[in-house]
Amino acid sequence: MTLLHRLASIVRWIAYRNRAEQDLDDEVQAFVDMATADNVRDGASPAEAHRGAMLDLGGVEQAKEHVRTVRHGAWLDAVGRDVRYGLRQVRRNPAFSGIAIATLALGIGGITAMFSAFDTILIRPLPYAEADRLVMIWDDLRHEGVPKHFPAPAEWLAWRRHNAVFTDIAATQSRDATLSGDAEPEQVPACRTTANLWRVLGMHPLIGRVFTEEEDENGVRVVVISHGLWQRRYGGSPDVLGRTITVNDDPYEVIGVMPREFYFLPAPDIDIWVPASFPAWMRTNFSWHDAQVVAQLKPGVTLERARESMEALSLQLTAKDFRGPHSVILTPLREEMAGKTQTALLVLLCASAALLLIACVNLANLLMSRGAARGREVAVRAALGAGRRRLVAQFLTESLVLAALGALAGLALAVPAMRFLETLVPETMGDVRLTLDWRVLAFSAGVALAAAVAFGLVPALRGSRLAPQDALCEGGRGTAGARSHWFQHALIVIETALAVALLTSGGLLLQALHHLRNNDLGIRTEKLLTFETPLFRYQDFDRRVAFVNALLESVRAIPGVTNAGAISRIPLTVTDQATFYLLAGQSRDSIPEQVALTRVVTRDYFPTIGAGLREGRFFERSDRRSESPAAIVNESFADLNFPGRSPLGAQLKFGQLDDKGYWYTIVGVVRKIRDRGVTEELNPTIYRVHEQTDQNGGQPSGIVIRTAVEPVSIVSAVRQAIWSVDKNQPIWRVQTLEEIVDRQLSTPTQSTTLMSAFALLALFLASLGLYGVLSYAVSQRTNEIGVRMALGATSSEILLSFGRRGMALMLAGLVIGLVLATIAARLMTSLFYGFQPHYLPTVAMVSLILLAVGALACLVPARRASRIAHRSDDGPASRIDPAGAWLT
Amino acid sequence: MILTILAREPLHGYGISQRLTTLSHDEFHVNPGSLFPSLYRLEQDGKLKAEWRPTENNRRAKYYRLTASGRRQLERHRERWTRVSFAVTSVLEGA
Repeated sequence: MTLLHRLASIVRWIAYRNRAEQDLDDEVQAFVDMATADNVRDGASPAEAHRGAMLDLGGVEQAKEHVRTVRHGAWLDAVGRDVRYGLRQVRRNPAFSGIAIATLALGIGGITAMFSAFDTILIRPLPYAEADRLVMIWDDLRHEGVPKHFPAPAEWLAWRRHNAVFTDIAATQSRDATLSGDAEPEQVPACRTTANLWRVLGMHPLIGRVFTEEEDENGVRVVVISHGLWQRRYGGSPDVLGRTITVNDDPYEVIGVMPREFYFLPAPDIDIWVPASFPAWMRTNFSWHDAQVVAQLKPGVTLERARESMEALSLQLTAKDFRGPHSVILTPLREEMAGKTQTALLVLLCASAALLLIACVNLANLLMSRGAARGREVAVRAALGAGRRRLVAQFLTESLVLAALGALAGLALAVPAMRFLETLVPETMGDVRLTLDWRVLAFSAGVALAAAVAFGLVPALRGSRLAPQDALCEGGRGTAGARSHWFQHALIVIETALAVALLTSGGLLLQALHHLRNNDLGIRTEKLLTFETPLFRYQDFDRRVAFVNALLESVRAIPGVTNAGAISRIPLTVTDQATFYLLAGQSRDSIPEQVALTRVVTRDYFPTIGAGLREGRFFERSDRRSESPAAIVNESFADLNFPGRSPLGAQLKFGQLDDKGYWYTIVGVVRKIRDRGVTEELNPTIYRVHEQTDQNGGQPSGIVIRTAVEPVSIVSAVRQAIWSVDKNQPIWRVQTLEEIVDRQLSTPTQSTTLMSAFALLALFLASLGLYGVLSYAVSQRTNEIGVRMALGATSSEILLSFGRRGMALMLAGLVIGLVLATIAARLMTSLFYGFQPHYLPTVAMVSLILLAVGALACLVPARRASRIAHRSDDGPASRIDPAGAWLT
Repeated sequence: MILTILAREPLHGYGISQRLTTLSHDEFHVNPGSLFPSLYRLEQDGKLKAEWRPTENNRRAKYYRLTASGRRQLERHRERWTRVSFAVTSVLEGA
């Protein structure tokens, strides 16, 4: 019979159920009547005739029941009955059900919300055609202390020409740009890109077109703009196509607008894309590393094969590189975009799973104790002919009813949790909302089902195993016999282990976060306003120096400003590259080993950020343009190159390292300034003053202002001050340093907050659970306690014996938990942000907390039991619980 | 057997059990407890169709009759039975 037919018949049966029942009644009645009539005809009295007919039939109800069981969808009826029975049970025991549903809601809600974040960030396809085949390629400059370095445009060219594994490779350079001319000058995030970027990503413009290889090749000034910029600055009018706009003072023709949902690295808010048009020198210079490279794997080529092939190619291409051959690193685009969040999400997902497991363990125990209390009911049902399978089905249905209610409540909890989790989405993913879509709902339903089986199966099997006569004989005090103890023991051990693992992980993360928060940045972050002002309009060295000095002068004149300085990039927003350096007296062969970061600052920079000086001096007025410029190095630089002695007076050279380059004299050693990020290692760094750089040096376009008042209150005064010097000067990314720090710490803070929440919930649930398991165990043994006390045992002996067994189990759980925690800690290493947390104190603390909880959970019920036993001393304490073996 | 009986004429449950007893020369007494489930199963599977009709004694009863699909099933069963019984007979007599 076809499935369709079967379904139709089920539907029919449901629809015409009452009529079918009526039919059945009538039919059986007709049978009896006819049989009776026949019997009467054969000479029986009417009463005898009826009796004979009934005997033939074998019982009206039985006959009907036989029919019902062959009917399609009969099981539906049974399930329906069980569900109704389950719901009745829920209503009848509001306390039990409330606890069960709340516990499940926490477990299911937590994991559902985590899954929605996990799904959105790590599973759902990226908005590119064939996103799975997209990889980013990085230079592996580990020997220079930079594992993932930007490739050089020259490398991109060579890879594109010689590789065998990609259909195409695109390169981009991130370059902020100034829009001016048609409205107020505006600084926007911009990107120079090779023409094939859109083909590699498989994206098309919303209107217009993207630029061609020829336009890129010939440096034609065309621009593709973002949907956001189109709406904001050009009113969303299609007329924008063909319009000429001014980008960095040059005219560009707008040829296309990208769709709203388009985003790509390095930032989701890029507003304009212009042809990369790499100049000739960039195409041959393998040391100009500032491109991001994305490539599309050829169909059928695995990442592994591409990796091998590209590593070989790169080693070959860079064989003659003056800093030695280097390899490349290939990362899937997804991984690139999710970044560190990946680990955080995985850890949190595991944590929420552990929490759910604890919830299930608790429920299993609750159901077990209730199952024992329901021994009589089970016995009656079994006596009336309910098969074991039927009983298990009924118990499981009840668990399912609980799980379904828990899942519903959990979804209600998940929605606000998802709003919170949205802050975990990395900025590179664009504007992402977490939604309760069908995948999340399906997941949640699956989890509820799994949970129902997890916490319902063993109690169901045990409950149904109960031999009817035992339960009835025992006067309804039914216990499931000595066999139940392994299960209770397992519950205690599992619960302890999971709670220990979660608490330890939470503790370690808290330590790491605390460390980050209190990490000495070398900068006094409070009341420090920062912004950027691009200096491309001041290409000429002298004009630039004069402008920066005048700008700082006018800012310092603002009331409430105590100091102001400038640096090449605002602290904590820097992603910069290292430069080779040579110390006086060294041979050039040592160069490949020696790299340092460089910063160009104004004289007031160090005092403004509140940097400390270890020795020597800061820059002074006398440090003007000269043939013997000054340099300040940081402690890492000094300790690396001049261990145990003073670097003051030493000379160094860096940058191009040609014969014309200046020799800089070290005049000071500044204390550590962690300006590359809260979590970054400290690298050797060289500081120069802006008046002593050459044309190629960085430009001090990041302004920092120390204020005596609330920094935000002077923002407009600062704008006016700068525009009084040059009214066309763009100002952007105005923010306080504290905001920058907060943003950097947002992912660690969020994950730690979540982890701590999970850990505390775990502790709470585990305490409840342990108390539940142990008090149930004790309650089963009240009689035995009575006997033992009657035989002369003291209360304390009883308490001790309970405590001993409970503690032994908890210790076992503790050991397993610590093993789990160690594994978790390994998984979380990258979440510690380069910080080595103190493992032992955390473990000791967690163990103490849990053992204390366990001790209470053992002793309180045992004490109560011993009191009860006391009271019943003169009563008959004669029945010895067959399950007494638990204690001895 | 139910199908064979119903192939001749539509009958109600009691009729079927009586007819079975008669036709089998009192060899088969079918218990209503298994007759009704069989009828229901066949009806659900579309081999039988049922309707309420008055009996000759003016009682209402549920009459079953064969559907086309039921007729085909009967043919298949009959054919198989012929083969099997022939085979069994052959073995029994050959031994």
